Amino acid sequence: MKTLANLPAPRIAGPAQAGFLKFGVPRMRSPLLYVFLIVPVGYLIALVGFPVGYNLLMSVQEVNLGNIVTLARPFVGLDNYRAVLADPSFQKVFVNSLLFVGVNVIAQIGIGLAVALFFARGFPGAQLLRGLLLAAWMLPALVVGALWKWIFATEYGLANAALSKLGLIGAPIHWLSDPAVALTSVTIANIWFGMPFSMILIAAALMSIPKELYEAASLDGAGSFARFRYITLPGLQATLFAVACLVTIYTMRAFDLIFAMTQGGPLDASNVLPLLSYQFSFQQFKFDIGSAIGSFSFVIVFVVALIYVRTLKKEAIA
Amino acid sequence: MTAASLGFAPVRRDYIYTVIGVAGVALYLFPIYWMFASSLKNSAEIFANPPTLIPANPTLDAFRHVFQRENVLRYLRNSVTIAGPVTLLTLALGAMGGYAMSRLRTRIVDVAVMIVLLLQVFPEALLATPMFIIFRTLDILNTFGAVILATTSKTLAFALIVLRPLFRQVPIELEEASRVDGCNAWQTFWRIVLPLMRTPLIVVGALAFVQAYGQFVYALTLMSEQELQPATVGIYSFVGAEYADWHRVMAFSSVFVLPVIAVFLLMQRKIVSGLTAGALK
Repeated sequence: MKTLANLPAPRIAGPAQAGFLKFGVPRMRSPLLYVFLIVPVGYLIALVGFPVGYNLLMSVQEVNLGNIVTLARPFVGLDNYRAVLADPSFQKVFVNSLLFVGVNVIAQIGIGLAVALFFARGFPGAQLLRGLLLAAWMLPALVVGALWKWIFATEYGLANAALSKLGLIGAPIHWLSDPAVALTSVTIANIWFGMPFSMILIAAALMSIPKELYEAASLDGAGSFARFRYITLPGLQATLFAVACLVTIYTMRAFDLIFAMTQGGPLDASNVLPLLSYQFSFQQFKFDIGSAIGSFSFVIVFVVALIYVRTLKKEAIA
Repeated sequence: MTAASLGFAPVRRDYIYTVIGVAGVALYLFPIYWMFASSLKNSAEIFANPPTLIPANPTLDAFRHVFQRENVLRYLRNSVTIAGPVTLLTLALGAMGGYAMSRLRTRIVDVAVMIVLLLQVFPEALLATPMFIIFRTLDILNTFGAVILATTSKTLAFALIVLRPLFRQVPIELEEASRVDGCNAWQTFWRIVLPLMRTPLIVVGALAFVQAYGQFVYALTLMSEQELQPATVGIYSFVGAEYADWHRVMAFSSVFVLPVIAVFLLMQRKIVSGLTAGALK
């Protein structure tokens, strides 16, 4: 079976002597390549794989400030998981995370697709303008959080000023301190932050759809909707799926932005799983509970990652 | 399909799209303008209601404050002290791994690629606790080294994924020729392959730098010493502590993001192609 890794490498057609060289020199199999492979992969296993495993271990132990350094800690089986599942804040935050991720995926793909389609018209400056949008995505997440906290300030913030100027709201909205609104506010900020990345990926896939298909369809009398429905969407299907996986993975990671804007508050209204895990570990020093919450996120992220990797492989074969 | 290729009012129609595009992008990036504009306001104007879109009396007072009182320079120095080594480590390990993955044709590479793809997805906030414990056992908490090691684990996975397909584009015939000329495997890599990969390596290095420069979670958890903390932690404590000083928070943020914006503007095109290569191939 062809996989990502053993697809033939793209070759530049070699001069006549390349054939001769193939006889003279054995294919590259130097031991150095194995060293080159093992060092970085070993690094990742040591600094990501091991911590993930360690986290799973802690989630079935009793871990507090007293025994945090020793490995000899009492095993408690699934007690931590039971405690987590029974915790009302976990249930609320779990639902929040699903909403946060779900809305982000839908919005980033929907808006990203619309924006990518607009710039695909190829008018003067389209490429440059499309690239400029990525400036938002390049900013440190913490700065984006601080910036949106200022924009969403109740009294002097830009959002309330603009909306009341437009006559859309009578009284100022408490974007970050009203439990009914806080999750929406951090979601808006995160969509702003992440959309350009989704858009760029979708735009790249759009460019790979053969132009001839559209021309042929136009000649056959297909309107713009029909062309979108029968050429664009099927052509983008695999990419949209991969982008959905990536947005899920990145959004599950959103910590800095929410931490800067609301710290998950008020009353966990805008809290998500990684932040809740952090709060249990580093604010309440219940490392075991924090680890158990972490395991839930690990499972979610890991399953999505497996789906993503499978999608990539199919893409590579196609 | 462009309007032009269908033969309808080509030129004028295209420029209308350009105008809409410029307006849309300007509106989208308005929050970034707002950060800079707010940083130029004085303490009275920042609380004007409705807010002034262009600072009426632009002043550098907020910048003066963050440089003199908030130690923005120390924070920036710490950020760069973390991001610099992360970039170098990422490039060194990423180039090695990307090269090996593009040249070896065994099952091991499949497994390695799979491991890298899967290990890049775990949220930092969840790895922070085990890392805290591991680094505490090693007794390297409160060192730049701890944050550098932790942050590189994130940037390295990305680098490997982007660089692997790009290394494949280096023609193997060039390497074979250099071997015939008597270079050993290391010399071939160092003298022939790496120079050809200069542009992708610069792009990956820039992205790694930007990511490490904006790193927050590991610095927050692995460093309690304020003297060593990077600017992200500085902004965070500033935002948390002084709600009212928004022009100063925005001045701090502006100084902090200027290098990021500069890197972005210099390399925008290349970054765009690097990202699409990395995520979807």
